[in-house]
Amino acid sequence: MEGFLGGLAILIDPYVMLMVLLGTVLGIFVGALPGISGSTTIALLLPMTIAMGPIPAICFLGAIYCAANFGGSITAIMVNAPGDPSASATALEGFKMAEKGQAGLALGISAIASAIGGIVSVFVLIVAAPLLARAAYSFGPPEYFAIALFGLSMCAAIGGDSPLKNLIAAVLGLLIATVGMDLTTGIERFSFGIYELSDGIGFVPVLIGLFAVGEMLDQAAKRVGKAQIIHLDAARVPGWAEFKKCNRSIWVGSAVGTFIGVLPALGATTAALIGYNETRRWSKYKHEFGKGSIEGVAGPEAANNAAVGGSMVPTLALGIPGSATTAIILAGLIVQGVRPGPHLFTEQPTLLYAVFASMLAANLFYLVMGLSMAKLFARISLIPPAILWPSVFVLSVIGAYGPNQSMGDVLVMLVAGVVGFLFRRTGFSPAPLIMGLVLGAMVEETLKQSLIIFDDDLAGFLGRPIALTLFALTITGLLWPMVSRLLRGGRAARA
Amino acid sequence: MWTARNPNHTIAVAVAAVAAAAFVGTYWFDPVPPGLPGLGAAEFPRLLCLVLLGLAGLLAMTPGTAPSEGDAPPLDRGAWAVFGICLLFLPALEVIGLWAAIPVFLVAAGLIWGAMPLRILLLNAAGFTLALWVIFAKLFRLTLPTGWLGAALGG
Repeated sequence: MEGFLGGLAILIDPYVMLMVLLGTVLGIFVGALPGISGSTTIALLLPMTIAMGPIPAICFLGAIYCAANFGGSITAIMVNAPGDPSASATALEGFKMAEKGQAGLALGISAIASAIGGIVSVFVLIVAAPLLARAAYSFGPPEYFAIALFGLSMCAAIGGDSPLKNLIAAVLGLLIATVGMDLTTGIERFSFGIYELSDGIGFVPVLIGLFAVGEMLDQAAKRVGKAQIIHLDAARVPGWAEFKKCNRSIWVGSAVGTFIGVLPALGATTAALIGYNETRRWSKYKHEFGKGSIEGVAGPEAANNAAVGGSMVPTLALGIPGSATTAIILAGLIVQGVRPGPHLFTEQPTLLYAVFASMLAANLFYLVMGLSMAKLFARISLIPPAILWPSVFVLSVIGAYGPNQSMGDVLVMLVAGVVGFLFRRTGFSPAPLIMGLVLGAMVEETLKQSLIIFDDDLAGFLGRPIALTLFALTITGLLWPMVSRLLRGGRAARA
Repeated sequence: MWTARNPNHTIAVAVAAVAAAAFVGTYWFDPVPPGLPGLGAAEFPRLLCLVLLGLAGLLAMTPGTAPSEGDAPPLDRGAWAVFGICLLFLPALEVIGLWAAIPVFLVAAGLIWGAMPLRILLLNAAGFTLALWVIFAKLFRLTLPTGWLGAALGG
């Protein structure tokens, strides 16, 4: 409690508060722009945070993450074009409500459900993260290796066409992370005598390239015209009867979202889709789904924002990203010299509680802004792509060049952009590659340390029950889709 | 009978080629100094390459469908032109510097993208460049590429 009050005290600092406010506005702004997701924005703005110092930087990035999910729902409702992938479930019912002339009500319930989901998950974060960190004190390298592998295996379930492609992307990320000097032996790997590569490939240019430039090139290939808003309407606060109707869906969404968020790698998009299904399952008004159900907006909105707090739990407590966006935030923390993990709770508790407090503040900020300025934010989607995407490219170049003043980084960004573009066209998701890149050093270091502990005998893992359990979960998770397909096939053959 | 080609085969071959090239590349690493315990510098990347090769093999055996025209439309001349000017942006930075390259790029890319009048593109280019100059050069005091032209003008 003392730590949390300390965090609130930091939030009173006008500079930090300004960063949270700016992050919230930017988050809603870019969340509402179809094609530019919260992860793209965070990747793009990461270089700017280097000059801020750890606390304002993480508060700024956390606020963008919180607000972008809500921002995505604005265009999902108004234009049927989810600004953020996590709002795709919201579009299913939200746009139908807008067509019925209830856009204002949909925006209102979206803002309220998002804020409730976000706030619930922050409280879970406040309670769960220190507990997980305390448990992690007993973890050694074998357990961390097993957790990192588990996190990577969860990549199979995020985005893209197939789990197999996600795993390939994650392993490619691990391979890219080996570029540069090996810390245990001092030997350079894959640096080809290029001085800039001996420090490894920087997170920032790769992140910007994969997310922002890759998306820009993809949009250039499509070059679609501007979106048309079908119905502009100010947000309306739902009445008591409407709120009561959505009460259950908001809590179901919050619970589902927080749980999904805590699982490594699974983020807001998965949470929203599962939240939508669960809301429908628990609803008394199932017949309204597909025709513009207000519960169908509240459930996924609560879920995708609850996933934000949930995904910060493993990120801060273990250093294992809870989602693609938290992988970028994790990279941002590492760039700032902060290594998340259990020791952070004893070494830098103020930073952690400042994060919690800023996320709470961001949720409240976007609730107010969402209700009062949704109409204004919806206009953002009218920015013509011919102006938007070239500007994104220019910002990407400055973002990649800025931190190290290196044209080499700009080149890396361009190569990563081409990879990101090819990924999008071949059904790969860039998120698992980022997870692999961020976790690469941890996976290799902990494997090497484990083998030293076990005298190079892999059987040593058998004597570590936590690691064994995590390996079992990893294998089950990877094989489950195949097993369930076989079972379904067997059942169909018998029928 | 003609059957549609499985796109996963091409992807699997590309992944396998990357893995094989990286695997071969590990043989160019310097040798590990004697006496160091545990895995050397090459073993972990080699392990990853083998995993990648295995996954590529699995992918080749998995049926895949070509992406729809909406998801991945064929690249037309406009798309290639946008890619080209993105690539040209780099040498432009070296020659004319960032602050001259930005407006040129914004107008050229906007024109290729289409559906925007030149007047608006020019206004946007001027306004956006000015805003970036204020934020990055004046506020954050970032040193950004001035190019040969900037250097010649004393920038």
